Amino acid sequence: MTLPFMIIGLMGLILMGLPIAVALAVVATVAIVVYQGVEMLPNIGLTMFEGASSFPLLAIPMFVLAGAIMNTGGISKRLIAFASALFGFIRGGLAMINIGVSLFFAEISGSAVADVAATGSVLIPAMKKRGYPSAFAAAVTSSSASLAIIIPPSIPMILYGVMSGASIVQLFVAGIVPGLLGAAGLMALSYYYARKYDWPVEEVFQFKRVKQTAKEASWALTLPIIILGSIFGGFVTATEGAGLAVAAAIFISAVIYRELDLRTLYKAIIDGGQQTAVVMLLVAASALIGVFLTEMRMPQQLAQAVLALTDNKYVILMMLNVFFLMIGLFLHSAAAIILVVPIVMPLVGAAGIDPVHFGLVVCLNLAIGQQTPPVASVLITACSIAKADVWSVTRSNLGFIGVLLFILLLVTYIPAIPMALVEFFYR
Amino acid sequence: MGIVNQTSRIMQRLLEIITVVLMVSLTLVVLYAVVTRYAWRTPSWYDEVAAIMLVWLTYYAGALAALKRGHIGVDGVLAALPVRVRMPIAYLSEALFIGFFLVLGWAGLVVLDVMQGMALITLRWVPLTFTQSVIPIGAALFIIAQLLSMPAHLAKVRSGLTQEEEEIRHAIAEAERDNARAGFTADALTRRDQP
Repeated sequence: MTLPFMIIGLMGLILMGLPIAVALAVVATVAIVVYQGVEMLPNIGLTMFEGASSFPLLAIPMFVLAGAIMNTGGISKRLIAFASALFGFIRGGLAMINIGVSLFFAEISGSAVADVAATGSVLIPAMKKRGYPSAFAAAVTSSSASLAIIIPPSIPMILYGVMSGASIVQLFVAGIVPGLLGAAGLMALSYYYARKYDWPVEEVFQFKRVKQTAKEASWALTLPIIILGSIFGGFVTATEGAGLAVAAAIFISAVIYRELDLRTLYKAIIDGGQQTAVVMLLVAASALIGVFLTEMRMPQQLAQAVLALTDNKYVILMMLNVFFLMIGLFLHSAAAIILVVPIVMPLVGAAGIDPVHFGLVVCLNLAIGQQTPPVASVLITACSIAKADVWSVTRSNLGFIGVLLFILLLVTYIPAIPMALVEFFYR
Repeated sequence: MGIVNQTSRIMQRLLEIITVVLMVSLTLVVLYAVVTRYAWRTPSWYDEVAAIMLVWLTYYAGALAALKRGHIGVDGVLAALPVRVRMPIAYLSEALFIGFFLVLGWAGLVVLDVMQGMALITLRWVPLTFTQSVIPIGAALFIIAQLLSMPAHLAKVRSGLTQEEEEIRHAIAEAERDNARAGFTADALTRRDQP
């Protein structure tokens, strides 16, 4: 009885233009007053503090900062030059470089829009200049940037880990194989289009250029290896690995490349802090409603209701897939994870689905949701850089969305694809 | 209008400085913990202090985001409504925002009162009233930020522009400027095939 009221109230407030975090907080406050009494109201002061004081979430500002420094300090530039020397000789090479770069750099900061803008504002015009249709350039950027949600480091994965209690490190590891499969799929499709429409080759393969760019990028290349290696190896936590990433990125940009512009860095830190705060306010507000929902045992009731219909794990996964695809149409990924994951976790647990496996399923669904209006900020950003309209880009994007859906099905129904590495290293 | 602009510029500058100080010290604390863990052992206060700094970042940088109207929301539906319906809803939504933070600020003050005389577990000399002060202060900052950005926001709602369009335009302009400054442009990337 309570839940429908709360959902309708929440939807109404969000559509009124209230920030989602505040809409959640308002609904929770009203629910507390109605069901628990005014005397419980001071508790919101405590919960809004405790909710934001989660130690694992510290990884978010650290990764955001590392990404911002890499973008401003000449690191991304060198990685792109290296990738271009390595893959530029393949037909449609620029599309493939775009996929590689977007996968690596997107979802690294709290703002998907800022990430797509950072790399897309160079790669999309470059593709157009080389004769690729602008709708295709926008489509390939948008889908690869969205697939980046499962490539570590990824802010949505950190959020999922905190909300579900799953290990963030294991989530990162589980993303590797599906991420590479997805990248291969997107690249294969680009190659097919490139042959079909006879798109250009970027440069002849020159060993000299590969060597030269590799030398220039060598420091930048060691950075992700050291950081992800030390996180996966268990030497440091995800948060500490992110802290190391910040230190290493500053060292490489300032000492090796000497390109760290302090004014840009200052701005990057502010943007990073602000993006962190936007996500954290959502987390704090969801704690407010979470305490209430738990006391009312609502997630458990939902689990019982679904399990009364079926206890087949694969049917439940299919239902959750459809549900998260729908959610992804209307909500940004961070908001979707923070709002919905705590509610479905008891169901996921009761159905015997591994929370790490489920994390991959959730993130992929949200990645696909980002490709389709009404809420599709990644797609819209790519469109406006390419100066192409959303519908023609969506038409070019259908094939890529197909690849993403195929990966989603693989990940959902062959758990070994995401989980084999996790099982091998951690269990 | 002049006073609003000037005040919000000062507030923005102030919150930006606080944000930078918090982000930098947070990074230093995390790095210090990594180093000390391998050298001898992680300081006992690490978890508690780092988590509290994250809360402070949430509210101080969050107020900055409120000043720039940067909190995640959905405003496309509102923008699609006729102006006659749109404006009253926009006013109501502003009122609800401020109303919630008034309640939060009050609740924060009640909590402060209860926590008189208590201290952090790992650092006995840091009173909880200091760490928890972020809630009432943060709530007040959110309210001020919302009020200062309200005239410009309402004008935008009236004209039918959405926050998302604004954010995307801003992000692209910024990225283009940053990339141009770093010499990282489409020309630089495509010219490379010439020997």
